[in-house]
Order: sequence, then C-alpha cells, then structure tokens
Amino acid sequence: MPQYILSRLFLAFVMALLATLVIFLLANTVPGDPVLAQLGDMAASNKEFVAEWRAKWGLDLPLWQRYLIFLERLFHGDLGVSISSQRPVLQDIRDFAPATLELASVSFVLALVVGIPLGIMAAVRRDSWIDHVARLVSLIGVSSPTFWLAFIMLAVFYGGLQIAPGPGRIDSIALPPPSATGLYLIDSVLAGDWELFHDAAAHLVLPSIVLAAATLGLITRTTRASMLECMQQDYVRVARAKGLRYRRIVIGHILPNALIPIVTLGGLAYANLLTGAVLTETIFSWPGLGRYTFRSAVTLDFPAIMGITLIVAVVYLIINLLIDVSYALLDPRVVR
Amino acid sequence: MTDGLGWIDRRRLLQLLGVTGGALAANLPDRVFAQTRKNTLVLGIDISDTITLDPARLAQYTSPMTVAAAYDALVTMKPGEYINVAPGLATKWGRTPDGKGWRFTLREGVKFSTGNVMTVEDVKWSFDRVINLGDQPSQYIANVDRVEIVDKSTIDIILKEPKEPLLSIIAAPEFIVMERKVAEANGASAAKDAKTADKAAQWINSNSCGTGAYRIAAWERNQQIQLVRNEHYWGGKPPYERIVIRHISDGAAQLLAIRRGDIDAAFNLIPEQIAALKSETSVRMAPLPSLDFVYMALTQEPEFNKALAVKEARQAIGYAIDYDGIVKNMLGGAALRPAHFLPIGVSGSTEEVARQIGFKQDLVKAKELLAKAGFKDGFEFEISYGNAAVQGVTYQDLGLKIQSDVARVGIKVNLRPVDQVNLRTEYTTGKSKGGVLTFWNPPAVDNWLWAGAVINRVAKRVHWTPPDDVRKLVAEAATETDAKKQADLWVEWQKQMVDQANHFVLFQPVYQIAVRNTVKDFPLTAAGWMLDLYGVKPSA
Repeated sequence: MPQYILSRLFLAFVMALLATLVIFLLANTVPGDPVLAQLGDMAASNKEFVAEWRAKWGLDLPLWQRYLIFLERLFHGDLGVSISSQRPVLQDIRDFAPATLELASVSFVLALVVGIPLGIMAAVRRDSWIDHVARLVSLIGVSSPTFWLAFIMLAVFYGGLQIAPGPGRIDSIALPPPSATGLYLIDSVLAGDWELFHDAAAHLVLPSIVLAAATLGLITRTTRASMLECMQQDYVRVARAKGLRYRRIVIGHILPNALIPIVTLGGLAYANLLTGAVLTETIFSWPGLGRYTFRSAVTLDFPAIMGITLIVAVVYLIINLLIDVSYALLDPRVVR
Repeated sequence: MTDGLGWIDRRRLLQLLGVTGGALAANLPDRVFAQTRKNTLVLGIDISDTITLDPARLAQYTSPMTVAAAYDALVTMKPGEYINVAPGLATKWGRTPDGKGWRFTLREGVKFSTGNVMTVEDVKWSFDRVINLGDQPSQYIANVDRVEIVDKSTIDIILKEPKEPLLSIIAAPEFIVMERKVAEANGASAAKDAKTADKAAQWINSNSCGTGAYRIAAWERNQQIQLVRNEHYWGGKPPYERIVIRHISDGAAQLLAIRRGDIDAAFNLIPEQIAALKSETSVRMAPLPSLDFVYMALTQEPEFNKALAVKEARQAIGYAIDYDGIVKNMLGGAALRPAHFLPIGVSGSTEEVARQIGFKQDLVKAKELLAKAGFKDGFEFEISYGNAAVQGVTYQDLGLKIQSDVARVGIKVNLRPVDQVNLRTEYTTGKSKGGVLTFWNPPAVDNWLWAGAVINRVAKRVHWTPPDDVRKLVAEAATETDAKKQADLWVEWQKQMVDQANHFVLFQPVYQIAVRNTVKDFPLTAAGWMLDLYGVKPSA
C-alpha cells in the first residue's frame, strides 16, 4: 500500500508540472498583449515605460526562458508576483482560497447529506412519491443554470421574503474576525464571537445551496442508480432468503457496495466545487478564488494564471489520489 | 417491503431537508448591528478593478474615490465645475515671479490623521515620490521639472514647459499629500531610487496617512474597503464614524440590497433596474455626470478599407448614425453627447457647441457625401467591439444600432466581437481594419490630456497624420490664458476634428446612482473620483 501511494504521488507531481506547461503554452498563444490589459492608455503608449514594464515582469524574455524561471521559482516555493494585484501570487491565493474552501465544503456536505439519503430512499421506494421528489430535485439541480438559480434565490429569500442575508460573507457593517484560518466559521468561533458565527453561517446558506444544486442532483441520481443495481445482486437475494430485516440489508449489504461509484463522483464533485464557483461567487460577491481566476485570465496575468493552474491541478490530483486510496479501502480487490 | 426504513422515516427526512430552511429563518443579527448602522455609510459598488490604493500607483476607475476620501490635494475640483480649480490644501496660488512655474500658499493648521501638522516638506516629499516611483501617475505630470520649498508655507512647482497646464491635473487624487514620517516608517521612499527602494505598497493598501476626512482602516480584497473618521480633519468633524465601500459585483444584487437598506447607495444599476426603483419612496436616483465617453474610431488606412480612406465616406457614416436614438432609447436619456473628444463640461465643450458643430443624423447629406466620395451605392466595413457594457448598454447593442442606421444609406457593417484585451491590442497597435467601439476616461481633468491623446496616440491608431496647423492649434488652445479665447480655440479644434471624421463620440454617460433617503447630501462628481465622501451627510 505505501508503495502504491508513493508511485501515485510521483505520477501526480509529474502531471502537475505537465499541466503548468500546457497552460503556459496556451496562455501565451492568446494574441492579446498583457501590457494593454494592465496599463492605462497613456502609459501603454509610452515606449520606454512599456519596455521597462516588460522587463520588470520578465515579459521580454523568450518563452522557454520564462517557463524555466517559473520552474526555478516553483522549486523555491515561490509562485512569483501577480501582475495585476502586484502581490505574491501565493499571498493572493492564501487570501482568496479560504472563502472558496468554506463555500465549497459547506456545499459539498450539503449535497452529500441531502443527496445520498434522498437517493437511497428513492431507490428503496422506487416509483413512490419520494422517488418522484428525488427525481424532481435532481432534475432541477442539474438543469438550472447557476446564475439564474443564484439570482432567483437572492430575489426570493433576500429581496422578497427577507429571511436570508444578502451577498457577501458577512453583514455589510460587520467586521471580519481576526484571521487565523480565513474560514469565517472557524475564525469567529476561535474569537468567541457567536454573533459573527451566526452571521457568517447565515450568509453561507444561499450561495451554498446554489453551488450544491448541481452536485446534489448528480449525487442523488447516482446513488439511486447504484442502489438499484446492487439491489438486483445475488447476495441481496441470499440475505433476504436468510430472513434478515430489510433495513439491515440496505445498510449492511447494499449501501457499502453502492457507495463505490459515489466516492468517485463525490471526490470529483468536490474538486469541481472548489474550482468552479465563478458564477456563484460573482452573484453573491463572494471574495473567492473563482473571481480571482477569472480576472487573472481576462487580464492575461501570467504569474497568477500559472499559480492557479498549479493549485487546481494539485487539488484534482490529491482528490484523485484520495479516491483511489479509498477504493482500496472500500474494495480490497483493487490492491492485490 | 413497505415496512420501510425505520432509521429514516418520512418525518425525519423532511426534518433533514428542513435544516436549511431553519437556518434561513433563524433570526439574523440585524438588530445587533442596527445601532452601528446609523453611524455607518455603506456604499454598494463593484470595486473588482481596485488593485491599489497607493496614490502614486493609481490607475483604476474605482480606487480614486477611496484615495480622495483619505487624502487631499493642493487644489481640488468642486462638483459641476471642471474648468477652474478650487482651494484644497493650498489656499492661494499664482505663477512664480519668473513665470516658470506655479506658487502655492499652504492652508494653515492642517493636521494629518495622526494629529501631526502638515508641513511644506510633506508636500514636496509626496510629489517627489510620485515622480521618482515612475509609475503611471508620474506621466501625467511629466511636465513637472521639480518641486521647490520657498518658505514654511510656500512651495513652487517648476515646469519644463511653463505654458502647459498644471492646476487641473494636480487636482487628481494621484497628487495628494502624505505624511512623510508615517509613510517612511512604513517603507515608503521618495528618493531617486524609489522604484526599487519603496516598499510601502502593502501598507498603503490597507492604511492611510493623509489629511482627508476619513482614514483607510482596512481593505479586504474583493470584499470591502473600510474607512473611519479622521478626528483631526481640518474641514470640521466628518459626519460618519465609518464608511464601508462594499464590493457587490452584480447590479441585481445591489438593487436588492438597497431596497432592504443594507446599503445606502448602489452604483452599478442598469436602466431596467433603475426603472424598478421608481416606485420605491425610500430611494432616489442621483445623477453622476461623467467626463467619460463611448466612441467609435474609424481607420483611414487604404490598405484596410479603400472607402474608409476617403474623408467624405467617413463623414457619411457620421451623418448616418442616429445619435439621439442611442441617448434617448438605449440610455433612457441619461447621457450627453459632445461634438468630439472634449466631454461636455470642460473648456469649449457645451451642449450648445455640440449641437452646432457635431454630427447629427442627416441621411440626405450622408448620401450626398457618399456620392461625392465615389461610393454612391455604399460600401462595407467592419466594427470590432469587446464583450462589455457601459451603463448597461453593451457594445454589441451599440454595434447593432449603428449597423441598422448606416444600412439606411447603403453602407454595410460586419460586426466583429473580440475579446477585450485582444481588441485593445489590435486597436492600440493600429491593426483594426474598420471601426472600433470603445471607451475613454481621462486620468485627470484637462483638455490637453484629451486633445493631446487625439493628435498623438489615437491618431496613430487610425493611421492619420495630423497636419502641423492642427498641432499648433492644440498647443495654442492648451496654453491660452484667457478663458474666453481658450474656449473658442477648443471649439475650432473640435470643428476640425469633426470634419476629419476619425472619431464619433456616441455618448457621454450620466450614471444613475441610487441613494437611500437616509443620506441627505451625496455630492457626486465627474472630476474622476465619483463621490466627494467628505461631503456625504446623513439626513437628520
């Protein structure tokens, strides 16, 4: 097992590097000029200023040399400085990642906690009202566009019923908690500020539902399908023939086997939530990585783009690794 | 089988699903914040472009508002008056005895937010820092040779070209006064090697050391900027304890927030959202005039387009566009339209002048011009534009409007959407093969900055070489000291530019800001920093 993990880790490392190379080449084929994405009209027209600026950001060097510099810095744990924020990329990521991490994690838990039981019930009581509800929920979740759902949620619960707080992570006049982890739920507890905890939690409700919607739909459907498949297996028939209570069969026999595809799906879904929240973040003015990534891309902020790519690649690779490892735990046949 | 799942029955499941609803319905801490809310001003605005709050590095659209609240410049501009400057940290000014620069007398008893008295050294140091840092703002004052201390309340700014304008440029928030001691203690440098020696950007981004009505207390990126009252403000006690400039990127969310009273002003509403506020009695619309404009640039490079190379053909386009339709129907009338590259409100540009000398839709004249140009049956050209919107009007919609307008005289437009950065790359390098729809906003308020741009940078982009007499006219207008004569010269210049027909200004936005009636005074300004935060006052 350790050997298995080690070899996977090494592969992951190579893959991450490859991902940065691909993005580096892709980002550099865009015909736009980063100078013009960043500088004002007057500065961008001043040749000396532009030349100095290019030199400052290393944009005057040949492509391969720039990539080598990126690699060299990387091995010193330095992702370079973002051109548009003029701060170390690592610091930017550190500032923006917690908001996304918090939102994605809450959404993920929400999707699992609602999606799995719903899927199980739907499978067990096939064609009952609960199955229809589950189907409806997953259909709505999967098919409604995020920006639309986000806006409807805001309009109904914030604007209309006035039972939910508005955009942002905390109330507009609340002060953020002293930063320990950057996760407001945890920081506010550490600071002993329950008022703020309540505020931060309330602000998480709408965006996390919106973000969870698609994932929830997927998980419900997959759970249902997977359960149904397992229910047809011989061992279930045997268990029933033995006279076991149905509840035991579901929990003890069907569920563990049905969970395997959900682990894969869940892992990837989590990675997706972490990296794909741009729209939700925009509408809820959530200061997370999604917005940062978007801005970096449209302003051709190469160091930031590279940094984000690397982080995203690493997140996916780690989650994939965890999936594989958990496979081995769930299904001993995987590792011989 | 129907005996079912005892461990999760119908009721339990509903409870489970109800958890989210419960969290929503739980009482929010609104009441707790109610007290603070009265002393706090909350502005809802998209500040995603704010990347620095360092005056000497400023180059964005929304950051000047914050900087102008925390710092003061020697002179300033009052809302509505964009020709003559008003006293700021200087109470008097005039030419230096030798005529090579300007002499300023400092206001007495001005204190920084630390309580220390502002000195003439602070002023000199602040200018030196801008110049030596060599970032974008340094270019606007490239004409400044040096700053000299005369005595403890007098300072000279000596110019390289003494006749070129200075006052209106240094009213911009890039040229404010910082407290040298505090700035230096936090890594700032104004020395010759400031480019590498200055390490203060980080500190200046979340603090301030100015004389302004408010002090920057924190900036959480893409979240909010926090300002607190400067107890030592020279202009009297500022009314709010705190100001929160809250980042809300989505106009629809701003609309909901201002309705609920979570924010006191919403800056990024589009016309439909503004219309939705009509019935709301607790919210009013305040016009924010601007000196920005949206224009179409037309190349005259014959290699790109033979027709566009002919002046009369370009003029025909100018007479075919339905400008009034754009302003009235697309913007609900919330816009002005200057004759050319001088926004309405500055010297030589009024609505009257624009009506007299600007293009207006005249299809007969457009057809005559086409015939004269030798393109009786029209011609074809492309219009490129980015994926963006100004005042809720997308470039795409503008392109479609122009397309249908010029079609009426037989000119065919091919619309070409381009990514914003690529568009700018093409345009600034003179590779645009037809028209380009884009936006102009000035770094500071001075005719020279607009006119200079037209005859230098923008002319190159459309492959036009301005003749010497045009250059001379601009120089003359910029340096003329008699206000009336100066305005006349600028009118003459605009006439020539309209005739040249490389640029068609489509509209100059009058942004509509929604303000709650909890706020009484809300002095919006077109001078470049949107709002004079020191002058915002709550209703009693």
